[in-house]
Amino acid sequence: MRQGSFCYVKGAPVLEGRALTKFYTLGKERVRALDRVDFTAVQGDFTVVNGPSGSGKSTLLNLLALIDRPSEGEVLFDGQPTGSLPERALAALRREKIGLVFQTFNLIPVLSAAENVEYPLLLTRTPRAERRERVREVLAEVGLADLARRRPDELSGGQRQRVAVARALVTQPRIVLADEPTANLDSATGTQIMELLRGLNGEHCVTFVVVTHDPAVIPYAERVLTIRDGRIVGEERRGEPRPA
Amino acid sequence: MASLALRNLSRNRRRTLLSAGIVALGCALSLVVLGFVERSRALIQESTVQQFGNLQIADPNLLDGRAEGFAYLIDPVRRVQVEELVRAERGVVGTTAQLSLSGLLAVRRTTAVVRAVGVVPENGVLDYNDLVVEGRGLRPGDVGAVLVGRTLAEELGLRPGDFLNLTATTVAGAFNVSPLEVVGIFRFSSAEVERAQVFVPLAFAQLLLATDGVDRVVVRLDRLGRTWAAARAIGARLRAAGLALEVRTWDVLSPFYRGLSAFFDLLFGFLVAAVFVLVFFVVLQILTLSFLERTREVGTIRALGTRRDEVFRLFVAEGLWLGLLGGGVGVLAGLGLSLLFNGVGIPWQPPGTVEAVALGVDLTPAVVGIPWTVSVLSTALSAVLPAYQATRVSVADALRAV
Ligand SMILES: Nc1ncnc2c1ncn2[C@@H]1O[C@H](COP(=O)(O)OP(=O)(O)OP(=O)(O)O)[C@@H](O)[C@H]1O
Ligand SMILES: [Mg+2]
Repeated sequence: MRQGSFCYVKGAPVLEGRALTKFYTLGKERVRALDRVDFTAVQGDFTVVNGPSGSGKSTLLNLLALIDRPSEGEVLFDGQPTGSLPERALAALRREKIGLVFQTFNLIPVLSAAENVEYPLLLTRTPRAERRERVREVLAEVGLADLARRRPDELSGGQRQRVAVARALVTQPRIVLADEPTANLDSATGTQIMELLRGLNGEHCVTFVVVTHDPAVIPYAERVLTIRDGRIVGEERRGEPRPA
Repeated sequence: MASLALRNLSRNRRRTLLSAGIVALGCALSLVVLGFVERSRALIQESTVQQFGNLQIADPNLLDGRAEGFAYLIDPVRRVQVEELVRAERGVVGTTAQLSLSGLLAVRRTTAVVRAVGVVPENGVLDYNDLVVEGRGLRPGDVGAVLVGRTLAEELGLRPGDFLNLTATTVAGAFNVSPLEVVGIFRFSSAEVERAQVFVPLAFAQLLLATDGVDRVVVRLDRLGRTWAAARAIGARLRAAGLALEVRTWDVLSPFYRGLSAFFDLLFGFLVAAVFVLVFFVVLQILTLSFLERTREVGTIRALGTRRDEVFRLFVAEGLWLGLLGGGVGVLAGLGLSLLFNGVGIPWQPPGTVEAVALGVDLTPAVVGIPWTVSVLSTALSAVLPAYQATRVSVADALRAV
């Protein structure tokens, strides 16, 4: 494991969830996927939400990422409530201020690595020259400068997830949310991805929330929340992680 | 974004080729059929103008078939007036006058009611000599000469050189009869005309009716397209001169042409509609499937902040590209097929024409433009519904889709 430090320059809360409750209706049954969860991610935090399958991790992440709305409770972004915002405004927040990393990478197969990374900048109508520059920088940061022209299907799983991380970072978002970023990778590659995220947090103070059921991810966390049956059942501050 | 839509077409090449092929086929097919219809229409227009001239000027009662007596006749003074006034109009190649009459044609013991059209022989505007298949045409100086239609000639056993009598009522109401020599036999596309119509020199018709008038002035123009503007202008001139005469255009004069033209429009409209409804639904099926397969990707790009309307436009743009691709290939294929057709030259006699012509395709801007536009639009349109559906899925649900 890389020796590194977390971001110690903590700022204001970026994302807050207040008493988040989410119901799903499956046929006649009403499933309570999330039960009055309170959550805060402060700028510079590296938070891992850990819990078994079906505990509500993805549900929570989707609410925080503003791609789904809570049944009850409120998500605040930069202190502003988002519940009453229209879909367009949420989309704008997502493209400008939130970076997302998925378990299955979710790259656009017809675009090259560089074009996948460039995509969010097209959404924000960033000028061409600036787009080129940013894409180059962030691809170098994730160690893929040489593979920029490859299509996703010409990349390994780890490389694809690096592209996805680059895509999440390219707009310089206030926060990056990752849903099981290592679950589709072998453990060595998973470790590399977590070290990449850790490094980005340490060097650039990028705020991360990673949800996972993979215990191997926990050592990278600065703060670990445990979720079970839709409730946060534990919080642990780890500070500087132990060397491997 | 436009390039992403284009690249999306490369995902499933076989499917893209299939849909583009269907669009192209529909486009090429309607191009060839439209070109064929246009060629036929042009041929029929030509033969109609051969028959009627571009314009005819006559008493409205005569033109409407309500004439009583001979009040409709145009006397020499007015005829000169009309001809001068017409020649002042741009694009007029020439004018000629006609006088038609109904009469009883008698040969040996048989009689037949005919309509005799009195024409100025070799007038350079509208004479019927090129319809003659046996004997000769009417010549200047001919008086007691007649061209008889093929069917009538067969029925009465007439040959060039035979004589017959034509009886009619003069303007004054007296019976008048005069002998005529059959100088030629003409053919026509319609057996009805071949049986019931004969051509005589104008001088003979005037003699038989005991008048120096004519019933119409026929105008020939340099271009078909000039017809309607010239008709309006000449009509205005006639009114200004205080002449109670009316101008009719060739398309109105020929009920046959009107019917056929309407039929062509209907035929083509129906065909284009059928082809494109078919193309629309086939492409709709393909695109629906294609977009549905990408539900998860829609979830992804929307999670990244792509708005609904942007997703919608992305997919419609994909349909548009597909239409441009299919339409482009279709136009090229249609042009190739048309040139092939025109090169081979299958003989065919369009209805209402006299001569068999090479079956061909006219390649006007409309012939190429209409199928292309319609195929591009219908393809783009078939993307609209599936594109809309793609934007309706919630982001979280879309992301969960496999
Ligand atoms: N769209 C849905 N409709 C119905 N039930 C759902 C839906 N999404 C999630 N659930 C249910 O809500 C609960 C929490 O699901 P969630 O996906 O948040 O869990 P998770 O912790 O992410 O699980 P995993 O580790 O398998 O990804 C589960 O019981 C799940 O079955
Ligand atoms: Mg999950």
